[in-house]
Amino acid sequence: MNELQLLNQTLSRRRFLQLSAAAALVAACGPASGGSPSSGGAISGTVNVTYPDQAGFKPKYVQQAAAAVHQQFSGVNVNIDLQKIDDDSFYTKLLLRLSSGDVPDVFHVAGTSIGALADAGYIEPLDSYIGAWSDWSQYPDAVKSGVTYQGKVYAIPYGLDMRWLYYRKDDLQKAGLPADWTPANVQGILDAAAAVKAATPNILPYALYAGPAGSSGTADHAFVPLLWAYGGELQDSSGKWIGDSPATRKVMAYYAKAYGSGLSPKTIITATQPWVAMRQKLGNGQLALLFEGGWVYGGWDSANKAGTEQNVGYVLHPTETGGPSFTVGGPGTCWYIAAKSKNKPAAWEFIKAMNSAQIVGSLNAEDPHPVARADAANVPAFASSKYLVDSTAALKSARFTAPTADYQKVILAIQTATARVASGALGADAASQRYTDDLKQQVGADKVTTQ
Amino acid sequence: MIAGRRSSFRRNRLYVAGLSPAALLLALFFVGPALWALFSSFTNSALVGIDAANPRFVGFDNYVRLFHDPDFAQVILNSVVFVIGSAVIGQFVLGLALALLLDHAERRRFRARSFVYFAVLLAWVNPTIIAGFLWVAMFDFYSGSLNVALGHLGLGPVDWFGQAPMLSVIIVNTWRGTAFVMLIFLGALQTIPSDIYEAARVDGASAFRRFWDHTLPMLRPIAALTLLSVTMATFGTFILIQALTNGGPALQTEVIALYAFHQAFEAYAIGYGSTIAVVMLSLNLAFAIVFLRWSRARA
Repeated sequence: MNELQLLNQTLSRRRFLQLSAAAALVAACGPASGGSPSSGGAISGTVNVTYPDQAGFKPKYVQQAAAAVHQQFSGVNVNIDLQKIDDDSFYTKLLLRLSSGDVPDVFHVAGTSIGALADAGYIEPLDSYIGAWSDWSQYPDAVKSGVTYQGKVYAIPYGLDMRWLYYRKDDLQKAGLPADWTPANVQGILDAAAAVKAATPNILPYALYAGPAGSSGTADHAFVPLLWAYGGELQDSSGKWIGDSPATRKVMAYYAKAYGSGLSPKTIITATQPWVAMRQKLGNGQLALLFEGGWVYGGWDSANKAGTEQNVGYVLHPTETGGPSFTVGGPGTCWYIAAKSKNKPAAWEFIKAMNSAQIVGSLNAEDPHPVARADAANVPAFASSKYLVDSTAALKSARFTAPTADYQKVILAIQTATARVASGALGADAASQRYTDDLKQQVGADKVTTQ
Repeated sequence: MIAGRRSSFRRNRLYVAGLSPAALLLALFFVGPALWALFSSFTNSALVGIDAANPRFVGFDNYVRLFHDPDFAQVILNSVVFVIGSAVIGQFVLGLALALLLDHAERRRFRARSFVYFAVLLAWVNPTIIAGFLWVAMFDFYSGSLNVALGHLGLGPVDWFGQAPMLSVIIVNTWRGTAFVMLIFLGALQTIPSDIYEAARVDGASAFRRFWDHTLPMLRPIAALTLLSVTMATFGTFILIQALTNGGPALQTEVIALYAFHQAFEAYAIGYGSTIAVVMLSLNLAFAIVFLRWSRARA
């Protein structure tokens, strides 16, 4: 990567951060869209769409979008390939397809993959399409820059990622804490967990993701917010990844406390897909504290609306010193067109249909994320949910990871390093020092520094 | 001379024709991929990122990286423990013991023989991934049948894979692979003529002496081959561990084949993953050569 590219990335990240506040405001009170039906023309043929879904929220909207495209262009048939597998497995399968040349036209993966996919030449820049799409003006600039890589827009997001520190009001009250608990600082999370452990030994106090089993959650729901809470950064101003640093050592010490004193169960690093059990346990009150994606609330809400509203509280992530709390934001799962697609115009028509204000609003009301396009917030199902309004407002306090190609490799280093300390294989300082080596193994020694 | 060679070719033509389909398949599915891995190990080939767009030769960079990899020593050590624990001590010794017992049971016409035989065989006929999930369903901390059963008895759940991860995967792999060794030895035992034993018995030899002086020497050639086969197969296995612990916690069960898989399909570094596979292949090959020489010298 040359310096110019690095500069571009840093700028776009900075811009992303600056504009994230604006995103929330625009999303909350944006004007309604008139929409823009495309003209007919010679769009025809088959569009192969592939996407993963285990929760079951998306299929009916994908079918709606496919039907809408077919209605508008009778010569277009959308061939839907729904994969009921987890996102990581889907991504690996997709990469094998993309590298072999047997490509789908449209696919749906994390927005954080934009850099790696664009560098590989797998995805089509969408600038020429969005130039002729009036709805693009509904997307706040912060959202646009989140899907922009090296000056080009590569993906269309539907809902933005944000995270909450969820807590069970009933469990905390049993431990003598208030129902409207808000931790004063990072230590406050561990203190609350210790209080729960002392008061109710049969309830898991706190789930702090670690190791490869935690998947990307180990980074986005645990290590990264803790690093920021302790005043650390993932990268320095020149774009080098920071290994051992005072903040990294504090994060590792936090892990050592959470796991060493039995506040977080070791099964998080040994179970397969531990988040399935952890989300379920917070939903039924067997787990007291969990920092997780905002979308996770949807599972609890649809299973038991009244119980969830009564017992599940959510707050922003605290910092070490009690400074402004924050959340971790991200572009969410996005829609892409494969660079080798043989039917890009029809593929774009599907993406447009899938991202209409109506579908975006309704889908995000069910699969709760702040909407990516502002006018979708007016869809009644979305506007009437207190939780979604709160989540959208929380974006004002969001920090974003940089859309760099190497972030996914860095996640692997974070998984290895946190597993070492959570399993007790290494102490906090030693694990922090090994994190430097873990980073070097993943991204190369020349892109790693220490502080 | 020429006429002689030609007639020998004519004589062997049938053998060559019979062997060639197998040779072709072996070349296609074993030699081909091995050569491809060797080729890839000298490239920066990747599934995603800038290297996916610009694959190029990097010489020995991947090998240099591997020998500076701080985790590689642990991965090798894990592999050795896993092979000795599950292949040599587990599958081989247990398989031999089971074969001796079953052979004895057959000579005595015990009825339970076929039940034991099929019970052991059942572990082997399952596809590996299903066998893996079977044990996960038993050992899973939250919903595994063992912990649910313990819960009904009023006992706390046990973190089976967290307390002793390497022992867990060794037990499961032993359970799975013992049948193969047992079958081979059972076949070999049945070729030993029973009059040898009768003669020994007449001479007043004890059961242990009969085993030591007669059974064991007659099993030696097949034992060498079996040991080689299970050792090499176990060294290259990873699906079972992937299903059980996925190498964790904190690399405690990460064996070399799994490490190659993780580098190739989680870090998407095909070149580096291939390098690990090539090193694995070389270690296996070296072991096979040394072992075959040694067993031939002893025979």
